[in-house]
Amino acid sequence: MNKESLNPVQRFRLREKEDRFKSPYFFLRLLLLAFFIFTPFLFHSFEILDVVLKIIIFSALVASYDIILGYTGIVSLGHVMYFGIGAYLVGIFVGKLGLISYGYLALAILIAVVISGILSVLIGFFSLRIRAIFFAMITLAFLEFISILASQLRSITGGEDGISFKLPHILAIDYSFGRFLGIEITGRIVSYYLILFICLILFLLMLRFVHSPVGRVLQSIRDNEQRSIALGYRTYLFQVIASSFASCVAAVTGGCFAMWVRYVSPDSSVSVSIMLDVLLMVIVGGMGTIYGGIFGAAFLMITRAFLPKLQILITSLLPGVPIAIRLSERWLFYFGLLFILIVYFFPKGIVGTAQEIFSKRKVE
Amino acid sequence: MAEPILKAEGIHTFIGKHHILQGVSFEVHPGKVTVLLGRNGAGKSTTLRTIIGLLSPSQGTILFKNRAIQHMRPYAISRLGIGFVPEDRGIFNLLTVEENFRVAMLQEDEKTRAMMETIFEIFPDLKKFWKSKAGNLSGGQKQMLAIARPLVNRNELLLIDEPSKGLAPIVIDHLIDSINKLKEYTVIILVEQNFYMASNLGNDFYLFDDGKTVHKGQMEELVGDEELKKKYLGISG
Amino acid sequence: MNHKWRSWFPKFAVIAIFLLPILLISPKTYITLTISGLAMGMLLFLVSSGFSLIFGFLSVLNLAHGALFAWGAYIGFSAFSFINKWTGWGGSNSIFSNMLIFLLVLMVAGIGVAILGVVTERLVIRPVYGSHLFQIFITVGAMIVMEELIRIVWGPNDEVMPVPLSFIGSWDIFDVVVSKYPLIVIVIGVILYLIVFTILRRTRLGMIVRAGVENPEMVQVMGHNIYRYFTGVFAAGSALAAIGGGMWATFVKSIHPAMGGEVIVFALIVAIIGGLGSMTGSVVGALMVGLSYNYVAYLIPKAALGITMLLLVVILLIRPTGMFPEGT
Repeated sequence: MNKESLNPVQRFRLREKEDRFKSPYFFLRLLLLAFFIFTPFLFHSFEILDVVLKIIIFSALVASYDIILGYTGIVSLGHVMYFGIGAYLVGIFVGKLGLISYGYLALAILIAVVISGILSVLIGFFSLRIRAIFFAMITLAFLEFISILASQLRSITGGEDGISFKLPHILAIDYSFGRFLGIEITGRIVSYYLILFICLILFLLMLRFVHSPVGRVLQSIRDNEQRSIALGYRTYLFQVIASSFASCVAAVTGGCFAMWVRYVSPDSSVSVSIMLDVLLMVIVGGMGTIYGGIFGAAFLMITRAFLPKLQILITSLLPGVPIAIRLSERWLFYFGLLFILIVYFFPKGIVGTAQEIFSKRKVE
Repeated sequence: MAEPILKAEGIHTFIGKHHILQGVSFEVHPGKVTVLLGRNGAGKSTTLRTIIGLLSPSQGTILFKNRAIQHMRPYAISRLGIGFVPEDRGIFNLLTVEENFRVAMLQEDEKTRAMMETIFEIFPDLKKFWKSKAGNLSGGQKQMLAIARPLVNRNELLLIDEPSKGLAPIVIDHLIDSINKLKEYTVIILVEQNFYMASNLGNDFYLFDDGKTVHKGQMEELVGDEELKKKYLGISG
Repeated sequence: MNHKWRSWFPKFAVIAIFLLPILLISPKTYITLTISGLAMGMLLFLVSSGFSLIFGFLSVLNLAHGALFAWGAYIGFSAFSFINKWTGWGGSNSIFSNMLIFLLVLMVAGIGVAILGVVTERLVIRPVYGSHLFQIFITVGAMIVMEELIRIVWGPNDEVMPVPLSFIGSWDIFDVVVSKYPLIVIVIGVILYLIVFTILRRTRLGMIVRAGVENPEMVQVMGHNIYRYFTGVFAAGSALAAIGGGMWATFVKSIHPAMGGEVIVFALIVAIIGGLGSMTGSVVGALMVGLSYNYVAYLIPKAALGITMLLLVVILLIRPTGMFPEGT
């Protein structure tokens, strides 16, 4: 297959593939990956490790949401339910049923993926009959419903208190490999790398999906649905495929999260507030950019972890008037204001806007 | 030649990224019906929407009675005396015919009542269905309602967008009769693809192509000009 | 769906919900449950009607609506303490003074949140007209800010909502327990519905709003500054939610900053079932949800929320746009 015999589209794709490894972004991403790999060795604090891994897991979740929102254009407010299914299945298998082994762990995640895929197809059929905005509201209602289900079905889900559990063998907290490069390699560290690996695979899968022919059709649907239909694409089918894929990825991230915190509960695994977090991350990071999720997740997780500390510091400096104290205490308040401002000034998210600025510069 | 009641010059309008109007200029004179003709997508409806303020031009001026209106809000433009009948008619199906008119009325006074009587003379069906829900009217009647409604304020200029769309020929004839009677009350700008209707009502015309006004003249000329008709309207005979 | 089915179906659904439980519940309990169901329905109507009207008229999805509901409850709470301190009407036994302070409190809550609504609409909603996605984003932010503001002004803890003395308790009529407060809620709810209905149907303002629900662009073209109406309707919808909040708080006797979030999903479901933009739809949907929830909660406690979801799914399968079309 020589260059001259290719049609313009194929030539473009080949160029794209070749250029892929030369762009500056690529090096940035490699750097980021290296950072993640060496984090346990660079930072000896567990807290930082925790924040970093949560960033990784949520980046994957946000990226999966972005496939639906940013690439397909469907507004679903219930995406977190798949995350919850993944988390709860791990919790139930390993926790409630006590099946502590690698095999069962994998099985739990597999079943979660299947359930999520089927569920998203069913919900997809439903969305055919109703307007987009209804779909958003209904998925929100569904998420809330599942959240309440989780807290009510005590016998299966452990109710409000949730289920805490241990992980098998080398992933268990008390396991130790001995020392290596200055730190003790505990089960925690092992699970960190396992989850990092899984999320990396998820990211690669998502990138592959988005750049595949299917992914491109999806982008065309987002940009101009009428045209895609006119061109003969069964847009509806593609949207269902995309949302199934995205929901399966979300389920896996849920399983990862459960593995890391070794605990599931309605509030921490399947609540509307997690969905809100995802929304915040998407708006900060931008839609239609798989990598934006990393930025958004990082922003949220870091502010979540460190603003309260900042607030304690500021409180200690202020007079003891109740309202003044409360004003400084409620960092979430400022976060909300900041968020509104971000939506207002950066409708493409921070990453999206930055990308736009850079691409404009390139043209000049 | 009398002063034009409306004058548009060099209008450029964008819808999103699309440069729809790329230099539209025309004049509308009192006592005449001005027809905007052209193929689908040539920019005729967009022009009307720009005049009434639903779209804001990026360039150019629109003068109504010598007043620049190109950046005014639709409700302000409407209050100056311009009525608009959109392509989809814009009637409120869930409201009664009476309520449809009342929403249009800026004041409910003697003059308005007198105008209503005139409207009933031209469109008797509307009186018959006064208390019915507008959604129950037939296609032709809905079109009458859409056209009659803005008149209640004795607007000096009426913009009508493709009124014959979806109507049977006999209804179109009736419509032509009614609109002819309106000529004495208001100046009309008519957008039409139906040449039969356009030629029966229009006095002046402007041809649109690709978002520009490319030709203008008197209707009598156009009727006989096969070449022009074929080139810009795609019709022959 | 032809016309017959259209007017037939909602009436059928309501009657079914009203009557089916009689087969399963003893008449006396049935009456008690019906009353609490109607009361819950009224409260849901107040919250969801505002949301529905705002969506129908402004085409705005306001996820902060629940926070406005919470603000109504909190303003009511403060108003009650304040007025009671000066007049003692809340603590007295006289039903007259109790009613007086209660209505005053609701009015203050309504007006206060209406003002808050105007500010919200101008600052937060206006910039995002036309994009539902951004409305979701920005109203989520607004919700967070409003909820946090409650925590800042009143503190983060739950508060006990005082109930006027004569509202507490119930009457025993032929062995049927008839709680007093739910009856009051029903009466006030019905009065408010009638007020809104009259305004919508019989006034010029209402006519323009109904026209705007159908076609806001056209209303502008006909000479009305629709933005003023937008602000007005937003304020009115918020006020309704606030009154709902005040009454809800008295119903459950407590308030907490996150109460908005709990209610918004119910309001959403009711609004969708009834048809967005329709007042009648809100009432019918709210009553259906309120009644079914109470009946099922009595029969199979855990399934109460399930029945609401089931209702949602069934109605959407039959009528994807909700029971009543926009603007009725």
